[in-house]
Amino acid sequence: MSRKIKTALIDLSGTLHIEDLAIPGAQAALEKLRKHVAVKFVTNTTKESKNLLHQRLRDCGFAIEKDEIFTSLSAARDLITKQQYRPFFILDDKAMEDFEGIPTEDPNAVVLGLAPEKFTEEYMNRAFRLIKEKNAALIAIHKAKYYQKKDGLHVGPGFYAAGLEAVANVEAKVVGKPNKLFFQMALESLGNVDFSSAVMIGDDVDDDVIGAISAGMHGILVKTGKFRSGDERKVQNVAESFVEAVDMIIENKV
Amino acid sequence: MTTGRAVNGFLLDITGVLYNSIYKSDGSAIPKSAEAVDFVREEDVITPAPVVAQYCREHELRPHLFVRDDVLEYFDGIDTTSPNCVVMGEVEEGFSFDRINRAFRVLLNMPKPLLITMGNGKFFQRVDGPCIDVGAFAAALKFSTNCEIVMIGDDLLSDVGGAQACGMRGIQVKTGKWRPDFEKLPVKPDLTADCLYDAVKMIADNGFRL
Repeated sequence: MSRKIKTALIDLSGTLHIEDLAIPGAQAALEKLRKHVAVKFVTNTTKESKNLLHQRLRDCGFAIEKDEIFTSLSAARDLITKQQYRPFFILDDKAMEDFEGIPTEDPNAVVLGLAPEKFTEEYMNRAFRLIKEKNAALIAIHKAKYYQKKDGLHVGPGFYAAGLEAVANVEAKVVGKPNKLFFQMALESLGNVDFSSAVMIGDDVDDDVIGAISAGMHGILVKTGKFRSGDERKVQNVAESFVEAVDMIIENKV
Repeated sequence: MTTGRAVNGFLLDITGVLYNSIYKSDGSAIPKSAEAVDFVREEDVITPAPVVAQYCREHELRPHLFVRDDVLEYFDGIDTTSPNCVVMGEVEEGFSFDRINRAFRVLLNMPKPLLITMGNGKFFQRVDGPCIDVGAFAAALKFSTNCEIVMIGDDLLSDVGGAQACGMRGIQVKTGKWRPDFEKLPVKPDLTADCLYDAVKMIADNGFRL
């Protein structure tokens, strides 16, 4: 019987690990999965550069190469250079490494990511004024409503993007998941843009799973990370964790 | 000669009309606004807070209060344990990420999240420029928690239009957040004046008629 799934896009934070801790059994499950499908790691994370992300995964015991990681920051940089934006960045300092060389004088765009230290009245008002008075574009690396930290849930950049959209009469351009172009770029890098034989595994029911399904892929929701009870009612394929998700794929149960 | 209908009372918007807001200070009076108003008695100042407190009592709501310290007294005696709604006021004094996150968590943990906002202003004017207001946070909380929103108060963007819709006359003053392109909006004020003092003087000179 031919395998339905040929490629897997795998979310990182909340799916393979939570901060510095790997999801139990995930390292071995990944090795098992690699024997059957091609994989790419896709992340909306905006708090760290690709180098830092890669290092963290290695430290967790995952055998992953840096070029197997496709981040929304890379997608953002592509958009910024293509449109010749001069951004006012609301990004974590640890992510700024990925934007070296981008001009920032006289900004005509606001680039908003997950940067809690910069979710301040000063930054938000500056962003608001640039959009309202200088017609700056609003680019959201992603619009996560919230995300999971060890001490509980925190509002994500989607919260602030929604606020700015409502009062500055602007629509945010979303660069990362669930933007279809983002999924497409990830699959292109694997040499297979057949959405119907691809699956996305993630903990964010909206941005990972429903996003993937809307793009024409399969999706598996894992009950780790930011998963909240009730999310499982919105989608068909649900797994306890990445370990069970891998079994679902190998056993053609997707 | 005096023409027009009698004017027996004035409802005054405050920020942008009487004074300009300045970050972390008491603000600065707009020139001559004190002369325009001989004195403002405390009972002449209408704010949403006591109305919201009454709303909570009537609907047996236990609010998580996200408001300025000086309006807390209106909520005396209202049970605020195990909150089943969030009450959010103006953000003029600035906001902290921690407070917003707390309000967000309270809403997210409610089976039927309810947010009561005092006004729905998109922004308020401060001397250093426009600043996002309650309306931004209401939209943001709605996005992140899918809460229901009840708005009590004036809509800053249509003080004039809102008043006219109630049958009052609306006067536009060109201070605060006023911009020349307001003239293109569909609301047509009954009177436009450079500042509160000029508006009051015009009406006074006309025998308190407009």
